[in-house]
Amino acid sequence: MEKRRRSGALAFLLERSHNRQRSPREFWALRHVSFTVERGDTVGIIGRNGSGKSTVLRVIAGVYPPDEGKVSVNGEVSTLFSLGAGFQPELSGRDNIYLNGIMVGLKKDRIEEIFDVIIEFAELGDFIDMPVRTYSSGMRARLGFAIAMHSDKDIVLIDEIMGAGDAAFKQKADVEMSRIIGERTVIIVSHNMSTIEKFANKVIWLDRGVMAAMGEPKEVIEQYLAASKVKKRPPDEY
Amino acid sequence: MIEQLKNIWQRRELLYYIVRFQMKAEKKNKVLGFVWSFLDPLLLFFTYLILVHYIFGRGGPDFPLLLFIALLSWKWFASSLSRSVVSITSKVGLIQSVRFPLVILPLSGIIIGFFEWLFGFVILVPMLFIFEASFTVNILWLPVLLLIEFVGIVGICLIMAVVGTYLSDLGNIIQFVIRICFYLSPILYSVEERVPERFTTLYMLGNPFAGLLESYKNVLVLGTPPTEYALVGTAVCVVLFLIGLWYFSRDEHKLVKSI
Repeated sequence: MEKRRRSGALAFLLERSHNRQRSPREFWALRHVSFTVERGDTVGIIGRNGSGKSTVLRVIAGVYPPDEGKVSVNGEVSTLFSLGAGFQPELSGRDNIYLNGIMVGLKKDRIEEIFDVIIEFAELGDFIDMPVRTYSSGMRARLGFAIAMHSDKDIVLIDEIMGAGDAAFKQKADVEMSRIIGERTVIIVSHNMSTIEKFANKVIWLDRGVMAAMGEPKEVIEQYLAASKVKKRPPDEY
Repeated sequence: MIEQLKNIWQRRELLYYIVRFQMKAEKKNKVLGFVWSFLDPLLLFFTYLILVHYIFGRGGPDFPLLLFIALLSWKWFASSLSRSVVSITSKVGLIQSVRFPLVILPLSGIIIGFFEWLFGFVILVPMLFIFEASFTVNILWLPVLLLIEFVGIVGICLIMAVVGTYLSDLGNIIQFVIRICFYLSPILYSVEERVPERFTTLYMLGNPFAGLLESYKNVLVLGTPPTEYALVGTAVCVVLFLIGLWYFSRDEHKLVKSI
């Protein structure tokens, strides 16, 4: 589905301008990944770092056009929120809410309507007019999560945002998640298996860009955990 | 390409917010804030005025005016160009979060550059009266010249936005190129004063920006129509615009993957 290439600067540029598709060092971030998500499903995506989880979300969000294969999305997709990304660090929380709202295609009036709810959820208080770079990672997570939850889009994509908040945020996030689950289509990437198990009705395990398993959350998570157990070196190796 | 223009029109609200917020972010942490919009062109102006007029003893009575006008139009070009090189790479977070026409990013830098021009123009207007510029009907050419410059800047900046994304060394190269072009253009001097007459045609054809700059000076200060060399500039600007739009549209999808 998704391909990235690495090579020297000039070769890179020449290759681009000649519109060549193949290069010896090409690397597929995702390939042979195929799945269907029904309306109202909550899908968890798990896998090791660099296995292509975020790339799946970006492909669904339409950020990366696939080099091979097809993606069809019926419905409007929310902004893809991952920690730190998507916010302009120099801008205030207020401006970032507007910017993100406009980016996903909300009208100004609608943003004004949901503005207070977002601020209340994010518990930003006086920080709302401070630049986002001054925010703690928990504040950023809350703000990002609140915007994703209130942008009235059919499909909500969440990239490892639940892990950053404190206990109080997790409880609030749980309430919000339960509110939209079944109603909207949610795709969560997380390393937190209990989050995935709690909300997802379907889990996809990605391994180095390939789909290793898909199915019932419990089973897939067990397989994944079993596969990622650190193997102890036998004593004779020392 | 036409689709690209349609996309921009559809997302004009996004363009508006990006321009607004970016201008805000650039000024926010400074004590003088928006005062810098006026101070920047003024300080640049005084630096070159001192250098050329007082140290080298060049330039006639109209020189301050001519210099200021040329500097304004030059600054629009130069600042848009430096912004465009990093316009894509500096917004990775946004680009990877949601799909939107990427052309909005370099475009916003150009529009910010135009606002800088406008702030400078606010200072220019009283100067025109003080230095007794000749106002004639030719001043109506001003919007036309601005439009031509805009079209040309868009063309170059779209190309540079793509190349700068693939090749981050461009940021270093472009600063040098901008500087060279500055001295090669009639900003610190006027063409009739410094360019030998037999080379005038060659000079004006070789530097399409020169015709535009001379025309700005003509319509605003001397009250004469634009030079005929502005036609060359216009042609070059339109061609650049078409190439830029084509190149950017062709590579837009690849850009996302190379950041």
